[in-house]
Amino acid sequence: MRKLVFVLILLGCLALAVGCGGGSSSSSSGGGSSSSGGSTSSAANVLSIVVDGGPTANEPGGVIYSNAAFATVTICAPGSSTNCATVDHLLVDTGSFGLRVLESEVASLNLPTVNASNGSAAYDCASFADGSFLWGPVQGATVTLAGETAANLPIQVVSSSTANIPSSCSTNLSEDQGSQSGLGANGILGVGLEPQDCGPACAPGGLSPPPPVYYTCSSSSCTLAYVDEANQVTNPVVLFSTDNNGVIVELPAISESAATVTGSLIFGIGTESNNQLASSATVFTTLCDDFTTIFKGTTLGPSVSNDECTGPGSFIDSGSNGLYFQNLTNIPLCPSSTPAGNLSGFYCPASLTNYSATNVDPNHPSTTKVTDFSVDNALNLFTGASTSSDAAFSTIGGLNPAGYGFDWGLPFFYGVNLYSAIDGQIVSSAPQSPPWWAY
Amino acid sequence: MKTMLERWVAFPAWFLLGMVCMGWSCPARAALGGDVASVEADRAHMNASLQVTAAEGYAVQSMKTPGGTVVSEYVAPGGRVFAVAWHGPFLPEMQQILGTYFQQYSAGLQARKKVYGRHPLNLELPGLVVQAGGRMRAYMGRAYIPEMLPPGLKVEGIK
Repeated sequence: MRKLVFVLILLGCLALAVGCGGGSSSSSSGGGSSSSGGSTSSAANVLSIVVDGGPTANEPGGVIYSNAAFATVTICAPGSSTNCATVDHLLVDTGSFGLRVLESEVASLNLPTVNASNGSAAYDCASFADGSFLWGPVQGATVTLAGETAANLPIQVVSSSTANIPSSCSTNLSEDQGSQSGLGANGILGVGLEPQDCGPACAPGGLSPPPPVYYTCSSSSCTLAYVDEANQVTNPVVLFSTDNNGVIVELPAISESAATVTGSLIFGIGTESNNQLASSATVFTTLCDDFTTIFKGTTLGPSVSNDECTGPGSFIDSGSNGLYFQNLTNIPLCPSSTPAGNLSGFYCPASLTNYSATNVDPNHPSTTKVTDFSVDNALNLFTGASTSSDAAFSTIGGLNPAGYGFDWGLPFFYGVNLYSAIDGQIVSSAPQSPPWWAY
Repeated sequence: MKTMLERWVAFPAWFLLGMVCMGWSCPARAALGGDVASVEADRAHMNASLQVTAAEGYAVQSMKTPGGTVVSEYVAPGGRVFAVAWHGPFLPEMQQILGTYFQQYSAGLQARKKVYGRHPLNLELPGLVVQAGGRMRAYMGRAYIPEMLPPGLKVEGIK
Protein backbone atom coordinates (compact mmCIF):
# COMPACT_ATOMS: atom_id res chain seq x y z
CA MET A 1 0.00 0.00 0.00
CA ARG A 2 2.74 2.41 0.93
CA LYS A 3 4.50 1.57 -2.29
CA LEU A 4 1.38 2.27 -4.31
CA VAL A 5 0.88 5.61 -2.61
CA PHE A 6 4.49 6.44 -3.27
CA VAL A 7 4.23 5.57 -6.94
CA LEU A 8 1.16 7.78 -7.19
CA ILE A 9 3.06 10.63 -5.58
CA LEU A 10 5.91 10.11 -8.00
CA LEU A 11 3.56 10.10 -10.96
CA GLY A 12 2.00 13.26 -9.65
CA CYS A 13 5.40 14.86 -9.46
CA LEU A 14 6.21 13.93 -13.01
CA ALA A 15 2.88 15.16 -14.29
CA LEU A 16 3.29 18.51 -12.62
CA ALA A 17 6.97 18.70 -13.53
CA VAL A 18 7.84 20.34 -10.27
CA GLY A 19 10.41 19.36 -7.73
CA CYS A 20 8.66 17.22 -5.22
CA GLY A 21 10.50 16.96 -2.00
CA GLY A 22 8.14 16.91 0.90
CA GLY A 23 10.69 18.18 3.33
CA SER A 24 13.84 17.84 1.30
CA SER A 25 15.94 20.92 1.73
CA SER A 26 18.00 20.15 -1.33
CA SER A 27 16.97 21.59 -4.62
CA SER A 28 16.03 19.29 -7.41
CA SER A 29 18.17 19.59 -10.47
CA GLY A 30 18.05 17.85 -13.77
CA GLY A 31 15.33 15.58 -14.94
CA GLY A 32 14.76 13.49 -11.87
CA SER A 33 12.47 14.23 -9.01
CA SER A 34 13.33 14.40 -5.38
CA SER A 35 11.97 11.90 -2.94
CA SER A 36 11.70 11.90 0.76
CA GLY A 37 10.70 9.21 3.16
CA GLY A 38 11.32 7.61 6.47
CA SER A 39 10.15 9.13 9.66
CA THR A 40 9.26 12.76 9.30
CA SER A 41 9.23 13.43 13.01
CA SER A 42 11.81 15.63 14.59
CA ALA A 43 12.36 13.12 17.37
CA ALA A 44 15.69 13.20 19.16
CA ASN A 45 16.68 9.86 17.67
CA VAL A 46 16.00 10.72 14.02
CA LEU A 47 18.86 12.11 11.94
CA SER A 48 17.98 13.29 8.46
CA ILE A 49 20.05 11.76 5.69
CA VAL A 50 20.21 12.80 2.06
CA VAL A 51 21.41 11.32 -1.21
CA ASP A 52 22.31 14.57 -2.92
CA GLY A 53 25.48 13.93 -4.92
CA GLY A 54 27.91 15.02 -2.24
CA PRO A 55 29.57 18.27 -1.20
CA THR A 56 30.65 19.43 -4.65
CA ALA A 57 27.68 18.30 -6.74
CA ASN A 58 26.23 21.79 -7.04
CA GLU A 59 29.52 23.64 -7.34
CA PRO A 60 31.09 24.70 -10.65
CA GLY A 61 33.17 21.81 -11.89
CA GLY A 62 31.82 19.66 -9.09
CA VAL A 63 31.42 15.93 -9.39
CA ILE A 64 28.34 13.95 -8.40
CA TYR A 65 28.93 11.18 -5.88
CA SER A 66 26.14 8.81 -6.87
CA ASN A 67 24.25 6.66 -4.39
CA ALA A 68 25.90 8.03 -1.28
CA ALA A 69 23.72 8.88 1.74
CA PHE A 70 25.04 11.79 3.78
CA ALA A 71 24.41 13.08 7.28
CA THR A 72 25.28 16.24 9.19
CA VAL A 73 26.60 16.07 12.75
CA THR A 74 27.87 18.56 15.32
CA ILE A 75 31.38 17.98 16.63
CA CYS A 76 32.48 19.82 19.78
CA ALA A 77 35.52 19.87 21.98
CA PRO A 78 34.82 17.48 24.86
CA GLY A 79 32.43 19.05 27.34
CA SER A 80 31.98 22.23 25.31
CA SER A 81 28.75 23.43 23.75
CA THR A 82 30.31 26.44 22.05
CA ASN A 83 33.60 25.22 20.60
CA CYS A 84 31.84 23.27 17.90
CA ALA A 85 31.72 22.65 14.18
CA THR A 86 28.77 21.48 12.14
CA VAL A 87 30.03 19.02 9.56
CA ASP A 88 27.85 18.07 6.63
CA HIS A 89 28.24 15.39 3.99
CA LEU A 90 29.47 12.57 6.16
CA LEU A 91 28.96 9.30 4.31
CA VAL A 92 26.50 7.09 6.21
CA ASP A 93 28.25 3.73 6.17
CA THR A 94 26.85 0.51 7.63
CA GLY A 95 30.01 -1.23 6.41
CA SER A 96 32.45 0.51 8.76
CA PHE A 97 32.68 1.54 12.37
CA GLY A 98 33.42 4.95 13.83
CA LEU A 99 33.40 8.60 12.81
CA ARG A 100 36.18 9.84 10.49
CA VAL A 101 36.24 13.49 9.59
CA LEU A 102 38.58 15.54 7.44
CA GLU A 103 41.09 17.59 9.42
CA SER A 104 39.98 20.76 7.60
CA GLU A 105 36.50 20.45 9.11
CA VAL A 106 37.56 20.34 12.76
CA ALA A 107 41.03 21.90 12.86
CA SER A 108 39.77 25.03 14.63
CA LEU A 109 38.44 22.99 17.55
CA ASN A 110 41.88 21.85 18.74
CA LEU A 111 40.50 18.52 19.83
CA PRO A 112 42.55 16.64 22.42
CA THR A 113 44.65 13.66 21.40
CA VAL A 114 43.66 10.15 22.43
CA ASN A 115 46.55 7.99 23.54
CA ALA A 116 47.68 4.52 22.70
CA SER A 117 48.44 2.20 25.60
CA ASN A 118 52.09 3.27 25.48
CA GLY A 119 51.06 6.82 26.43
CA SER A 120 51.73 8.46 23.08
CA ALA A 121 49.13 9.93 20.75
CA ALA A 122 47.36 7.24 18.74
CA TYR A 123 47.09 7.31 14.95
CA ASP A 124 44.59 5.27 12.96
CA CYS A 125 44.75 3.66 9.53
CA ALA A 126 41.36 2.89 7.99
CA SER A 127 41.56 0.58 5.00
CA PHE A 128 38.84 0.14 2.42
CA ALA A 129 38.36 -2.65 -0.07
CA ASP A 130 38.45 -0.34 -3.07
CA GLY A 131 42.14 0.42 -2.76
CA SER A 132 41.88 3.53 -0.59
CA PHE A 133 42.88 4.42 2.93
CA LEU A 134 42.39 7.17 5.50
CA TRP A 135 45.20 8.10 7.88
CA GLY A 136 45.19 10.43 10.85
CA PRO A 137 45.26 10.88 14.62
CA VAL A 138 42.64 9.70 17.06
CA GLN A 139 41.10 12.64 18.89
CA GLY A 140 38.36 13.01 21.47
CA ALA A 141 35.14 14.93 20.77
CA THR A 142 31.59 15.31 21.95
CA VAL A 143 29.50 14.48 18.93
CA THR A 144 25.80 15.18 18.56
CA LEU A 145 23.69 13.38 15.96
CA ALA A 146 20.15 14.80 15.89
CA GLY A 147 19.28 14.83 19.60
CA GLU A 148 21.67 12.05 20.67
CA THR A 149 25.10 12.79 22.09
CA ALA A 150 28.24 10.67 22.27
CA ALA A 151 30.50 12.29 24.88
CA ASN A 152 34.26 11.81 24.69
CA LEU A 153 33.98 9.87 21.47
CA PRO A 154 37.30 8.80 19.93
CA ILE A 155 37.14 9.85 16.28
CA GLN A 156 39.67 9.74 13.47
CA VAL A 157 40.75 13.16 12.24
CA VAL A 158 41.84 12.45 8.67
CA SER A 159 45.15 14.09 7.80
CA SER A 160 45.50 16.15 4.67
CA SER A 161 49.26 15.62 4.83
CA THR A 162 50.86 12.45 3.57
CA ALA A 163 53.96 12.92 5.69
CA ASN A 164 54.95 10.07 7.95
CA ILE A 165 52.29 7.61 6.82
CA PRO A 166 53.73 4.18 7.60
CA SER A 167 54.17 1.82 4.69
CA SER A 168 52.00 -0.85 6.30
CA CYS A 169 49.13 1.63 5.96
CA SER A 170 49.82 3.45 2.72
CA THR A 171 51.32 0.68 0.65
CA ASN A 172 48.44 -1.60 1.43
CA LEU A 173 46.17 0.50 -0.66
CA SER A 174 48.06 3.27 -2.39
CA GLU A 175 45.21 5.73 -2.63
CA ASP A 176 45.11 8.40 0.06
CA GLN A 177 41.68 9.98 0.36
CA GLY A 178 42.57 12.60 2.94
CA SER A 179 40.81 15.44 1.16
CA GLN A 180 37.30 16.35 0.11
CA SER A 181 38.18 15.91 -3.54
CA GLY A 182 39.77 12.54 -2.84
CA LEU A 183 37.02 11.20 -0.60
CA GLY A 184 34.02 12.87 -2.20
CA ALA A 185 32.76 13.59 1.31
CA ASN A 186 33.79 15.42 4.48
CA GLY A 187 34.14 12.17 6.36
CA ILE A 188 32.57 8.80 7.05
CA LEU A 189 29.98 8.02 9.71
CA GLY A 190 30.50 4.32 10.37
CA VAL A 191 27.42 2.91 12.12
CA GLY A 192 27.78 -0.78 11.23
CA LEU A 193 27.58 -3.98 13.25
CA GLU A 194 30.65 -3.50 15.44
CA PRO A 195 31.40 -1.03 18.25
CA GLN A 196 35.00 -0.25 17.21
CA ASP A 197 37.05 -0.33 14.02
CA CYS A 198 39.39 -2.99 15.40
CA GLY A 199 38.36 -4.37 18.79
CA PRO A 200 40.29 -6.71 21.11
CA ALA A 201 42.85 -7.62 18.44
CA CYS A 202 44.32 -4.11 18.62
CA ALA A 203 44.09 -3.73 22.42
CA PRO A 204 46.82 -4.66 24.91
CA GLY A 205 46.90 -8.45 25.15
CA GLY A 206 45.64 -8.67 21.57
CA LEU A 207 47.51 -9.92 18.57
CA SER A 208 51.28 -9.83 18.46
CA PRO A 209 52.53 -7.84 16.64
CA PRO A 210 49.63 -5.36 16.70
CA PRO A 211 47.52 -5.35 13.52
CA PRO A 212 48.14 -2.55 10.99
CA VAL A 213 45.41 -0.30 12.38
CA TYR A 214 46.89 1.74 15.23
CA TYR A 215 50.26 3.45 15.47
CA THR A 216 52.23 5.90 17.54
CA CYS A 217 54.64 8.28 15.87
CA SER A 218 57.93 10.02 16.46
CA SER A 219 58.85 13.08 14.44
CA SER A 220 60.18 10.84 11.70
CA SER A 221 58.28 7.57 11.70
CA CYS A 222 55.32 5.63 13.02
CA THR A 223 55.21 2.15 14.50
CA LEU A 224 52.41 -0.29 15.33
CA ALA A 225 50.82 0.16 18.74
CA TYR A 226 48.05 -1.16 20.97
CA VAL A 227 45.08 0.99 21.89
CA ASP A 228 42.58 0.18 24.65
CA GLU A 229 39.19 -0.63 23.20
CA ALA A 230 37.69 2.41 24.93
CA ASN A 231 40.15 4.62 23.06
CA GLN A 232 39.71 3.06 19.63
CA VAL A 233 37.72 4.86 16.96
CA THR A 234 34.19 4.03 18.07
CA ASN A 235 30.79 3.68 16.50
CA PRO A 236 29.12 6.76 18.04
CA VAL A 237 25.82 4.96 18.58
CA VAL A 238 27.20 2.76 21.37
CA LEU A 239 28.16 5.84 23.40
CA PHE A 240 24.66 7.33 23.40
CA SER A 241 23.06 7.17 26.82
CA THR A 242 19.95 5.65 25.23
CA ASP A 243 18.90 4.33 21.80
CA ASN A 244 22.36 2.78 21.61
CA ASN A 245 21.75 -0.78 20.41
CA GLY A 246 21.62 -0.15 16.67
CA VAL A 247 20.26 1.96 13.86
CA ILE A 248 17.53 1.89 11.23
CA VAL A 249 18.32 3.27 7.79
CA GLU A 250 15.17 4.43 6.03
CA LEU A 251 15.16 5.60 2.43
CA PRO A 252 12.05 5.79 0.25
CA ALA A 253 11.54 3.74 -2.87
CA ILE A 254 12.46 5.56 -6.06
CA SER A 255 11.96 4.77 -9.69
CA GLU A 256 15.20 4.23 -11.58
CA SER A 257 16.70 7.53 -10.58
CA ALA A 258 16.03 10.68 -8.61
CA ALA A 259 17.78 14.02 -8.33
CA THR A 260 17.91 13.74 -4.55
CA VAL A 261 16.45 11.49 -1.92
CA THR A 262 15.95 12.24 1.75
CA GLY A 263 15.45 9.71 4.50
CA SER A 264 16.29 9.00 8.09
CA LEU A 265 18.92 7.37 10.23
CA ILE A 266 17.01 6.34 13.34
CA PHE A 267 18.89 5.44 16.50
CA GLY A 268 17.93 2.50 18.67
CA ILE A 269 15.87 -0.57 17.89
CA GLY A 270 12.79 -1.21 20.02
CA THR A 271 13.69 1.56 22.43
CA GLU A 272 11.19 4.23 21.34
CA SER A 273 7.79 4.34 19.70
CA ASN A 274 9.40 5.25 16.38
CA ASN A 275 12.00 2.46 16.19
CA GLN A 276 10.08 -0.73 16.88
CA LEU A 277 11.05 -3.80 14.89
CA ALA A 278 8.33 -4.20 12.28
CA SER A 279 6.53 -7.53 12.34
CA SER A 280 7.21 -7.83 8.62
CA ALA A 281 10.97 -7.60 9.12
CA THR A 282 13.06 -10.75 8.93
CA VAL A 283 16.00 -10.90 11.36
CA PHE A 284 19.24 -12.31 9.94
CA THR A 285 21.87 -13.12 12.51
CA THR A 286 25.38 -13.11 11.10
CA LEU A 287 28.47 -15.27 11.06
CA CYS A 288 31.70 -13.27 10.88
CA ASP A 289 29.38 -10.25 10.46
CA ASP A 290 28.19 -11.65 7.14
CA PHE A 291 25.10 -13.50 5.97
CA THR A 292 24.36 -15.76 3.04
CA THR A 293 22.98 -14.82 -0.36
CA ILE A 294 21.90 -17.46 -2.84
CA PHE A 295 22.05 -16.06 -6.34
CA LYS A 296 21.70 -17.96 -9.61
CA GLY A 297 22.08 -21.24 -7.74
CA THR A 298 25.34 -20.17 -6.14
CA THR A 299 25.51 -19.97 -2.35
CA LEU A 300 27.58 -17.01 -1.19
CA GLY A 301 27.94 -17.34 2.55
CA PRO A 302 30.43 -17.20 5.40
CA SER A 303 32.01 -20.20 7.07
CA VAL A 304 34.45 -20.78 9.88
CA SER A 305 37.30 -23.24 9.91
CA ASN A 306 40.14 -23.35 12.42
CA ASP A 307 38.72 -20.28 14.17
CA GLU A 308 39.14 -18.35 10.96
CA CYS A 309 36.42 -16.72 8.90
CA THR A 310 36.42 -17.75 5.28
CA GLY A 311 34.16 -16.48 2.61
CA PRO A 312 32.48 -15.79 0.53
CA GLY A 313 30.34 -13.82 2.96
CA SER A 314 27.61 -11.51 1.78
CA PHE A 315 26.77 -8.25 3.52
CA ILE A 316 24.59 -5.13 3.56
CA ASP A 317 26.63 -1.95 3.16
CA SER A 318 25.14 1.52 2.71
CA GLY A 319 28.66 2.76 1.94
CA SER A 320 28.83 0.73 -1.27
CA ASN A 321 27.29 2.75 -4.05
CA GLY A 322 25.92 -0.15 -6.07
CA LEU A 323 24.81 -3.75 -5.87
CA TYR A 324 28.04 -5.67 -6.34
CA PHE A 325 27.94 -9.35 -7.24
CA GLN A 326 29.95 -11.75 -9.29
CA ASN A 327 29.06 -11.99 -12.93
CA LEU A 328 27.34 -15.37 -13.16
CA THR A 329 25.25 -14.52 -16.23
CA ASN A 330 27.72 -12.72 -18.48
CA ILE A 331 26.27 -9.26 -18.01
CA PRO A 332 28.27 -6.83 -20.17
CA LEU A 333 30.55 -4.49 -18.22
CA CYS A 334 30.60 -0.78 -18.98
CA PRO A 335 33.51 0.81 -20.91
CA SER A 336 36.55 2.09 -19.05
CA SER A 337 36.65 5.36 -20.96
CA THR A 338 33.41 7.31 -20.79
CA PRO A 339 32.34 10.94 -20.23
CA ALA A 340 31.40 9.78 -16.72
CA GLY A 341 34.85 8.34 -16.01
CA ASN A 342 36.08 4.76 -15.81
CA LEU A 343 32.92 2.70 -15.43
CA SER A 344 34.53 -0.68 -16.02
CA GLY A 345 33.41 -1.93 -12.61
CA PHE A 346 29.71 -1.33 -13.41
CA TYR A 347 27.29 -3.46 -15.35
CA CYS A 348 25.95 -2.21 -18.67
CA PRO A 349 23.21 -4.61 -19.80
CA ALA A 350 21.41 -3.68 -23.01
CA SER A 351 18.27 -2.93 -21.04
CA LEU A 352 16.78 -3.09 -17.58
CA THR A 353 17.16 -6.62 -16.28
CA ASN A 354 15.33 -8.13 -13.30
CA TYR A 355 16.95 -10.51 -10.86
CA SER A 356 16.03 -12.32 -7.69
CA ALA A 357 18.23 -13.56 -4.86
CA THR A 358 17.51 -15.24 -1.53
CA ASN A 359 19.11 -14.02 1.65
CA VAL A 360 19.65 -16.63 4.37
CA ASP A 361 20.57 -16.47 8.05
CA PRO A 362 23.79 -18.51 8.18
CA ASN A 363 22.96 -19.70 11.70
CA HIS A 364 19.29 -20.48 11.01
CA PRO A 365 19.09 -21.71 7.42
CA SER A 366 15.29 -21.81 7.49
CA THR A 367 15.24 -18.02 7.91
CA THR A 368 15.18 -16.69 4.37
CA LYS A 369 13.87 -13.79 2.35
CA VAL A 370 13.57 -13.55 -1.40
CA THR A 371 14.83 -10.16 -2.52
CA ASP A 372 14.23 -8.84 -6.02
CA PHE A 373 16.42 -6.25 -7.67
CA SER A 374 17.07 -4.83 -11.10
CA VAL A 375 20.17 -3.74 -12.96
CA ASP A 376 20.19 -1.23 -15.78
CA ASN A 377 22.87 0.22 -18.01
CA ALA A 378 25.05 2.39 -15.76
CA LEU A 379 26.56 4.33 -18.64
CA ASN A 380 23.12 5.31 -19.93
CA LEU A 381 22.00 6.31 -16.43
CA PHE A 382 25.11 8.35 -15.61
CA THR A 383 25.23 10.14 -18.97
CA GLY A 384 21.61 10.20 -20.16
CA ALA A 385 20.11 13.63 -20.79
CA SER A 386 17.34 13.18 -18.25
CA THR A 387 19.36 11.38 -15.57
CA SER A 388 22.97 12.61 -15.73
CA SER A 389 22.45 15.20 -13.02
CA ASP A 390 20.67 12.79 -10.69
CA ALA A 391 22.31 11.53 -7.51
CA ALA A 392 20.22 8.48 -6.68
CA PHE A 393 19.97 5.34 -8.80
CA SER A 394 18.12 2.19 -7.77
CA THR A 395 19.40 -0.04 -10.58
CA ILE A 396 23.17 0.39 -10.44
CA GLY A 397 25.04 -2.90 -10.30
CA GLY A 398 28.66 -3.83 -10.63
CA LEU A 399 31.22 -6.55 -10.51
CA ASN A 400 32.33 -8.25 -7.33
CA PRO A 401 35.25 -10.48 -8.29
CA ALA A 402 34.62 -14.15 -9.02
CA GLY A 403 34.19 -16.21 -5.89
CA TYR A 404 33.29 -13.25 -3.67
CA GLY A 405 29.99 -12.65 -1.87
CA PHE A 406 27.08 -10.32 -2.55
CA ASP A 407 27.60 -6.70 -1.51
CA TRP A 408 24.14 -5.16 -1.02
CA GLY A 409 24.95 -1.49 -1.47
CA LEU A 410 22.77 1.60 -1.38
CA PRO A 411 20.35 0.61 -4.18
CA PHE A 412 19.16 -2.14 -1.82
CA PHE A 413 18.12 0.52 0.72
CA TYR A 414 15.61 2.39 -1.48
CA GLY A 415 12.20 1.35 -0.24
CA VAL A 416 13.59 -0.72 2.62
CA ASN A 417 13.88 -0.08 6.33
CA LEU A 418 17.18 -1.72 7.26
CA TYR A 419 17.71 -2.52 10.93
CA SER A 420 21.33 -3.00 12.00
CA ALA A 421 21.85 -4.24 15.58
CA ILE A 422 25.33 -3.75 17.05
CA ASP A 423 27.50 -6.56 18.41
CA GLY A 424 27.48 -6.69 22.21
CA GLN A 425 24.27 -4.68 22.60
CA ILE A 426 20.84 -5.97 23.55
CA VAL A 427 17.64 -5.65 21.56
CA SER A 428 15.07 -6.86 24.06
CA SER A 429 12.26 -7.00 21.53
CA ALA A 430 14.10 -9.56 19.38
CA PRO A 431 15.04 -13.06 20.51
CA GLN A 432 18.31 -12.98 18.56
CA SER A 433 21.48 -11.51 20.02
CA PRO A 434 23.21 -8.89 17.87
CA PRO A 435 25.01 -8.53 15.57
CA TRP A 436 22.17 -8.85 13.10
CA TRP A 437 20.41 -7.17 10.25
CA ALA A 438 16.67 -7.12 9.69
CA TYR A 439 14.52 -5.91 6.84
CA MET B 1 47.05 -35.57 -2.40
CA LYS B 2 50.80 -35.92 -2.34
CA THR B 3 52.76 -36.96 0.70
CA MET B 4 54.99 -34.49 2.45
CA LEU B 5 58.03 -36.30 1.05
CA GLU B 6 56.75 -35.95 -2.49
CA ARG B 7 56.18 -32.25 -1.91
CA TRP B 8 59.74 -31.77 -0.82
CA VAL B 9 60.99 -33.71 -3.84
CA ALA B 10 58.77 -31.59 -6.05
CA PHE B 11 60.32 -28.45 -4.64
CA PRO B 12 64.07 -28.97 -4.32
CA ALA B 13 64.74 -25.33 -5.05
CA TRP B 14 62.38 -24.30 -2.27
CA PHE B 15 64.11 -26.67 0.12
CA LEU B 16 67.62 -25.57 -0.76
CA LEU B 17 66.81 -21.89 -0.66
CA GLY B 18 65.00 -22.40 2.61
CA MET B 19 68.15 -23.96 4.05
CA VAL B 20 70.24 -21.08 2.76
CA CYS B 21 67.80 -18.58 4.23
CA MET B 22 68.14 -20.13 7.64
CA GLY B 23 71.84 -19.46 7.69
CA TRP B 24 71.98 -16.19 5.80
CA SER B 25 69.80 -13.18 5.76
CA CYS B 26 67.55 -13.52 2.77
CA PRO B 27 66.70 -10.50 0.69
CA ALA B 28 63.03 -9.53 0.85
CA ARG B 29 62.43 -10.72 -2.67
CA ALA B 30 59.33 -10.09 -4.66
CA ALA B 31 56.44 -12.45 -4.08
CA LEU B 32 54.23 -12.16 -7.18
CA GLY B 33 56.48 -12.90 -10.12
CA GLY B 34 59.29 -13.90 -7.81
CA ASP B 35 60.71 -17.35 -7.21
CA VAL B 36 59.92 -19.72 -4.38
CA ALA B 37 62.54 -18.09 -2.21
CA SER B 38 60.31 -15.07 -2.05
CA VAL B 39 57.65 -17.18 -0.38
CA GLU B 40 60.01 -17.84 2.48
CA ALA B 41 60.93 -14.16 2.61
CA ASP B 42 57.26 -13.30 2.86
CA ARG B 43 56.65 -15.94 5.49
CA ALA B 44 59.48 -14.60 7.60
CA HIS B 45 58.39 -11.00 7.10
CA MET B 46 54.84 -11.79 8.17
CA ASN B 47 55.94 -14.05 11.02
CA ALA B 48 53.48 -16.54 9.58
CA SER B 49 53.00 -20.29 9.73
CA LEU B 50 53.22 -22.11 6.41
CA GLN B 51 51.05 -24.81 4.89
CA VAL B 52 51.86 -26.33 1.52
CA THR B 53 49.24 -27.90 -0.74
CA ALA B 54 50.06 -29.49 -4.07
CA ALA B 55 47.59 -29.34 -6.96
CA GLU B 56 47.66 -30.29 -10.62
CA GLY B 57 50.14 -27.98 -12.28
CA TYR B 58 50.92 -25.75 -9.30
CA ALA B 59 51.39 -25.64 -5.55
CA VAL B 60 49.82 -23.34 -2.98
CA GLN B 61 51.84 -22.04 -0.04
CA SER B 62 49.42 -20.63 2.51
CA MET B 63 50.73 -18.43 5.28
CA LYS B 64 48.65 -17.47 8.27
CA THR B 65 49.82 -14.32 9.97
CA PRO B 66 49.44 -13.82 13.72
CA GLY B 67 46.69 -11.32 12.85
CA GLY B 68 44.56 -14.04 11.30
CA THR B 69 45.05 -12.94 7.73
CA VAL B 70 45.84 -15.77 5.34
CA VAL B 71 48.10 -15.10 2.36
CA SER B 72 48.33 -17.82 -0.29
CA GLU B 73 51.01 -17.80 -2.95
CA TYR B 74 50.53 -19.93 -6.06
CA VAL B 75 53.74 -21.42 -7.42
CA ALA B 76 54.22 -22.82 -10.91
CA PRO B 77 56.30 -25.98 -11.44
CA GLY B 78 59.18 -23.77 -12.58
CA GLY B 79 59.17 -22.15 -9.15
CA ARG B 80 57.67 -18.79 -10.10
CA VAL B 81 54.86 -17.24 -8.07
CA PHE B 82 52.04 -16.50 -10.53
CA ALA B 83 49.29 -15.50 -8.12
CA VAL B 84 48.74 -14.35 -4.55
CA ALA B 85 45.49 -14.18 -2.60
CA TRP B 86 44.61 -12.86 0.83
CA HIS B 87 41.67 -12.87 3.18
CA GLY B 88 41.19 -11.89 6.80
CA PRO B 89 40.43 -9.09 9.22
CA PHE B 90 43.50 -7.05 8.22
CA LEU B 91 45.33 -6.38 5.00
CA PRO B 92 48.73 -7.85 4.29
CA GLU B 93 51.51 -5.52 3.22
CA MET B 94 50.80 -5.11 -0.44
CA GLN B 95 54.33 -4.05 -1.26
CA GLN B 96 55.62 -7.25 0.28
CA ILE B 97 53.33 -9.63 -1.57
CA LEU B 98 53.18 -7.82 -4.91
CA GLY B 99 56.93 -7.29 -5.02
CA THR B 100 58.06 -5.86 -8.33
CA TYR B 101 54.43 -5.58 -9.45
CA PHE B 102 53.63 -3.13 -6.67
CA GLN B 103 54.61 -0.04 -8.65
CA GLN B 104 52.40 -1.08 -11.56
CA TYR B 105 49.51 -1.70 -9.17
CA SER B 106 49.99 1.59 -7.39
CA ALA B 107 50.28 3.57 -10.61
CA GLY B 108 47.27 1.74 -12.04
CA LEU B 109 45.13 2.68 -9.06
CA GLN B 110 46.04 6.31 -9.32
CA ALA B 111 45.61 6.46 -13.09
CA ARG B 112 41.94 5.56 -12.93
CA LYS B 113 39.78 8.52 -13.84
CA LYS B 114 38.05 9.32 -10.61
CA VAL B 115 34.50 8.11 -10.14
CA TYR B 116 33.27 8.67 -6.62
CA GLY B 117 31.96 5.66 -4.81
CA ARG B 118 33.05 2.77 -2.66
CA HIS B 119 33.08 -0.54 -4.45
CA PRO B 120 35.14 -3.68 -5.00
CA LEU B 121 38.40 -3.31 -6.89
CA ASN B 122 38.87 -4.83 -10.33
CA LEU B 123 42.10 -3.55 -11.79
CA GLU B 124 43.10 -5.09 -15.11
CA LEU B 125 46.52 -3.96 -16.26
CA PRO B 126 48.89 -5.34 -18.89
CA GLY B 127 50.17 -8.60 -17.41
CA LEU B 128 48.56 -8.02 -14.02
CA VAL B 129 45.07 -8.31 -12.54
CA VAL B 130 44.31 -7.15 -8.99
CA GLN B 131 40.85 -7.78 -7.50
CA ALA B 132 39.68 -7.01 -3.98
CA GLY B 133 36.46 -6.82 -2.02
CA GLY B 134 35.03 -6.93 1.46
CA ARG B 135 34.67 -4.25 4.09
CA MET B 136 36.28 -3.02 7.29
CA ARG B 137 37.46 -6.00 9.38
CA ALA B 138 36.88 -8.47 6.51
CA TYR B 139 39.05 -8.06 3.44
CA MET B 140 39.79 -10.35 0.53
CA GLY B 141 41.72 -9.98 -2.65
CA ARG B 142 43.89 -11.59 -5.29
CA ALA B 143 46.58 -10.57 -7.73
CA TYR B 144 47.70 -12.72 -10.62
CA ILE B 145 49.64 -12.83 -13.84
CA PRO B 146 46.93 -13.86 -16.35
CA GLU B 147 49.20 -15.51 -18.89
CA MET B 148 50.69 -17.77 -16.22
CA LEU B 149 47.42 -19.26 -14.93
CA PRO B 150 47.52 -23.07 -15.33
CA PRO B 151 44.67 -24.46 -17.47
CA GLY B 152 43.04 -26.21 -14.52
CA LEU B 153 42.90 -23.17 -12.25
CA LYS B 154 39.95 -20.83 -12.48
CA VAL B 155 40.26 -17.29 -11.19
CA GLU B 156 37.79 -17.98 -8.37
CA GLY B 157 40.10 -20.79 -7.28
CA ILE B 158 42.70 -18.19 -6.31
CA LYS B 159 41.53 -17.53 -2.77
